[in-house]
Amino acid sequence: MRYSALVAAPLVASGELEHREDGALVRRVTSPYRETTILRGENVVLEREGSRPRSFSLDRAPELRGMLASFGALLTGDRTMLDRYFSTTTRGNDAGWRIELRPVDAALLKRLALVQVDGAQDRARCFTLTEPDGDASVMALGVADRAALPASLAREALDRWCNGETER
Amino acid sequence: MSAAGKGTLLVAWVAVLAALGWMIERNLVVGTDLRLFMPSPRTAQERLVLEEIGEGPASRMLLLAIHGADAQAAAGTSQALVAALRGSSEFRWVANGAGDLDAIPDRLLSYRYLLSPTLDEARFDATFLQAQLEERLHDLTSPAAGFLEQWLPRDPTFELPRLLESWQPGRQPQLLFDVWFDRAGGQALLVAETRAAGFDPQGQRDAANALRRAFEAVRTDPGLRLEASGPGAFSVLMQGRTQREAQRLGTVATIGMVLLLLVAYRSVPVLVLGLLPLASAGLAGLAAVSAVFGTVHGITLAFGFTLIGVAQDYPMHLFSHQHRGLDPRDNVRALWPTLATGVASTCVAYLAFLFSGVRGLAQLSVFTVAGLAVAGLTTRFLLPWLVPARGRDAAGSALLGRLWDRVAGLPRPLWLGAALGLLCVGVLWLSPRPLWEDDLGGLTPVPRALIERDSALRRELGAPDVRHLLVIQDRDAQRVLAKTAGIGPQLDALVAAGALAGFDHAARYLPTIERQERRRAALPDPPELRASLEAAMRATPFRPGVFAPFLDDVERARHLPALGPGDLAGTPLEARVGGLLLERDGHWTGLVTLTGLRDPAALERLAATVDGATLLDLKQASQDLVAHQRTRILWCLAGSAVLLVLVVGFALRDGARVRRVLAPMALTTLLVLGLLHAAGVSLNLFHLIALVLAAGLGLDYALFFERAADDPAEQRRTLHAVLVCTLSTLMVFALLALSSLPVLRAIGVTVAAGVVGNFVLALLLTRPPGRKP
Repeated sequence: MRYSALVAAPLVASGELEHREDGALVRRVTSPYRETTILRGENVVLEREGSRPRSFSLDRAPELRGMLASFGALLTGDRTMLDRYFSTTTRGNDAGWRIELRPVDAALLKRLALVQVDGAQDRARCFTLTEPDGDASVMALGVADRAALPASLAREALDRWCNGETER
Repeated sequence: MSAAGKGTLLVAWVAVLAALGWMIERNLVVGTDLRLFMPSPRTAQERLVLEEIGEGPASRMLLLAIHGADAQAAAGTSQALVAALRGSSEFRWVANGAGDLDAIPDRLLSYRYLLSPTLDEARFDATFLQAQLEERLHDLTSPAAGFLEQWLPRDPTFELPRLLESWQPGRQPQLLFDVWFDRAGGQALLVAETRAAGFDPQGQRDAANALRRAFEAVRTDPGLRLEASGPGAFSVLMQGRTQREAQRLGTVATIGMVLLLLVAYRSVPVLVLGLLPLASAGLAGLAAVSAVFGTVHGITLAFGFTLIGVAQDYPMHLFSHQHRGLDPRDNVRALWPTLATGVASTCVAYLAFLFSGVRGLAQLSVFTVAGLAVAGLTTRFLLPWLVPARGRDAAGSALLGRLWDRVAGLPRPLWLGAALGLLCVGVLWLSPRPLWEDDLGGLTPVPRALIERDSALRRELGAPDVRHLLVIQDRDAQRVLAKTAGIGPQLDALVAAGALAGFDHAARYLPTIERQERRRAALPDPPELRASLEAAMRATPFRPGVFAPFLDDVERARHLPALGPGDLAGTPLEARVGGLLLERDGHWTGLVTLTGLRDPAALERLAATVDGATLLDLKQASQDLVAHQRTRILWCLAGSAVLLVLVVGFALRDGARVRRVLAPMALTTLLVLGLLHAAGVSLNLFHLIALVLAAGLGLDYALFFERAADDPAEQRRTLHAVLVCTLSTLMVFALLALSSLPVLRAIGVTVAAGVVGNFVLALLLTRPPGRKP
C-alpha cells in the first residue's frame, strides 16, 4: 500500500519478496501489473512489463537503504546493525507488538521519518515506512489476497489492523 | 690582433649572441600543432581531412577509467571528478552516465516538449495521458517513488527522463551507483572531450595535467588510479618519451663530443671557440624563422639543431689546418673556396624544403639555411682573429701519415663503385616491397598493451571510432541538421543490421527549428489540455489539481521560440552540439561519429545518397596526403640536386673534379637507400631529411679531400679534420640509431651509415686516378 499526497486513495500492489542466494533481494509485483525490482549491493534494477529496465543506486533512494537495513537486521536478529541506523522503541505484548525505528542519521532522516514493524507472537505482520512529508508505504506480510486486509484501507484503519485489531 | 683586441672581439661576439638570445627568448612562440608538418590542403576534401584529423570529436576524446578500490569509492570519485571538471578551461564536457535531472537549467526545462520526439507520434489527448498516468501510479508504488515523486506534478509524461535517456549513447555501459562501469564492475568509466585539438600536444598536455590534478583533489580512496586513453593521451605520452630519449642520448653525445675534441686538439680554448659558430648558427636560424613565420614549431627546433650540427665541422677544418707559423687568417683564406662551396651547396639542398608545401619543412629550411650561412661566415670572418696561431700541427702525426699512405695504397677498382651503384638501383627498382611508409603513426608507435587497453575501453564505452567519420556540409546549420536527422532511420537500420554498433550526431540533441515548431504546434491549448487531463484523471486516484505545474509548463512551451545552435550557451547541450555541428568559413559542417564500424562500404553507400555527405577514412586520407606530399618533396629534392651540381661545377670549373667530388656522395646515398630497403626498412620523410644531411656532410668531406690532392702535409691535416668531423657526427647519430623509438632510429641509422659511407668513399674516390702520393 502506498500513501501519497498526490493520490486520494492508497495504491495497492501485491506480490512476493525473495531473498536470493547471491544476496539480492527481489521484490516481485504480480498484481495488478507485473514489475520486478532487484536490489543487489548498492544497485537497484527496476523492470516493468512493456518498458525498458531502469537502474539507479541506493544513494538516490536513501529511504530504500534504511528499509533494507532495518528489514535485514530484523530478519536476522542483528541488534548491532539495528542500533547503528536507528533508535528503537518497543511496546505491546505477544498478542500484538510494535517496534518503532527512528533513523539516527540526519541525511536519512530527511527522507525517512519512521520505520514501524507490527506483529504478533513470532511473526511480523506489517512493515511501515513513513516519510517526513507524511507519505508512507505499508507492506503487509504473509497476506495471500485482498480479502485478508481490512475493508477500508484508510491509513488509520490499516494502522489499527496492523497493530492486531481484528475487524468483523 | 692584440690580446686586448681579441678579448674585445670575443666579448662583443658573445654579447651579440646573448642579446640575440634574449630577444628570441622574449619573442619566440613555439608552436606544437603537428599539422604544421602535414601538407597544406589543395582541395576542399583535403582541408576537411586535415581539420577532422586534429579537431574531430573523436581525436579530442579521452576515455577514462577509475579503479583500484571498491566500486562505490570509484563511483564516488567518478561523480566528484565530473563535478570538478565541469566548466574547466581544458574540457568541453565530461560524462559518466549519470543522467542528473538537476543538471538541466530551468530555462531549458520547458523546452523538453520541443526537443523530445514524443510529440512526433503522440498527441496529448485523454487516451495518451491516461496511459501515462497509469504508468506513473506504478512508479509511485515502486521503490523508485522516493525520488520520482517530486517530478510528477510538473512532468507526468516523464518527458525529461525520456529526453535525458535519449541523449545517452545508444549502447551504454552498465550503471552501478548511477555511473558507468565496465562489464566486470571493477572500473568506473568516463568520457571527456578536450578543448584542445588532438594534434595540439601542448594543449593535450595541459588537459592531462588538469585531469590529474582534479583527480588527486577529489579521490576518495588513496588506492584509486585514473587511467586516460585516446589520441590526445597517446600523443602526450609519446612526445614525452621521444623528448626524454633524445635528451638522454644528446647528453651522452655532448660528453663524447667534448672528449673527442679535447683528444683531437688538446686545447680547451679551441674547444670553446669551436662552439661559437654553432651557437651563432642556432640563434641566427631561430631569429630568421621567428621573423619570417612568427612562430617556430617544436619539431623545427629539435630537427633544426640536429641539421645545423654540420656547422660544428666548419671550425674544425680551420683548427686541423692550423699550425705554427701560419696566420689563422691566411689559413682560412686558403680554405674558404672549399668551405664556401660546401656551405653554399648544402644551403641549396636545404632550400628544396622551402618549396615542399609543408609549413614545418619550410621553417626547417629557413632555419638551416640561415644557420649554416651564419656559421660559414663567422668561421671565415670572425673566428680566425681569435684562434691561437700556435697549435699542434696535424701534419706532424706519423700515425695519420701512415694511415694516408695505407689508404693511398689500396686498390681502387672504380668499376666496383659503378657496379655497386647499379646493384642498389636494381634492388630499389625491382623489389616487390613498397619503398615508402605512409603511416606516420608508425614513427612513434604506442605500446601494444596501451592500444589493446584503448580498444577494450572503447568497446566498453561505445566510444566513437577514431578512423571513420561521416561529414555533412551545407550552407546553413538548419540544412545540415535536417540532412543529419534525415539519415537517422538509415543509420538505425545499419545498427540493426550489424554494420555499425552506434552513432552520434547533433540532430539527436538539437532538432531542426522546423521540427521543433511542428512539435510546438502539436501542443494542445490550455482548455483542451485541461479537458483531456481531467478525462484521463477520472480513471485514476490522482487528486484534482496536482498537475497544475504540468499545465503551466505546456502553456509556456507553446510560446517558446525554437532553439538554434546559438541558443545553447550555458546548457549541457552546448558542448555536445558544439563538437558535432560547426561553422567554418561561412558554411556549416555536421559530424556523425561512428562506433564499432564493421562495414564502411555500407556507410559509403549511405553517404552517396545525401548531397554534401562524405564518409572520411582519416587514416587512408592522411596516408594519401603523405604520399602526395612526398612526391612533391622528391621533385623539390631533384631540383635542388641539379642546383647543387651547378654550384659545385661553378666552384670547381672542371668536369673531372666535379665528378670526383660528387661521386662519393651520390654512391653513398644509393648505398644507404639500398641497404635500408634490403634490411626491410620502409622509408619516410625523416629518412629523406637524414639523407640530405648525410649528403651535405659527404660533399664537405669530398671537397676537402679533393683540395688536398697533392700536398702530403695538407693531406694529413685534411685527414685529421675530416676524421674529427666524421667521428663526432658518427658518435651523435650512432647513439640515435640505438634508440628504441623508430623516428630517432630512422634518423640515426641513416646519417650514421651515410657518414661512414661518405668518409670511406670520399677517401677512396676523390683522388685523381693514376697519381701516387
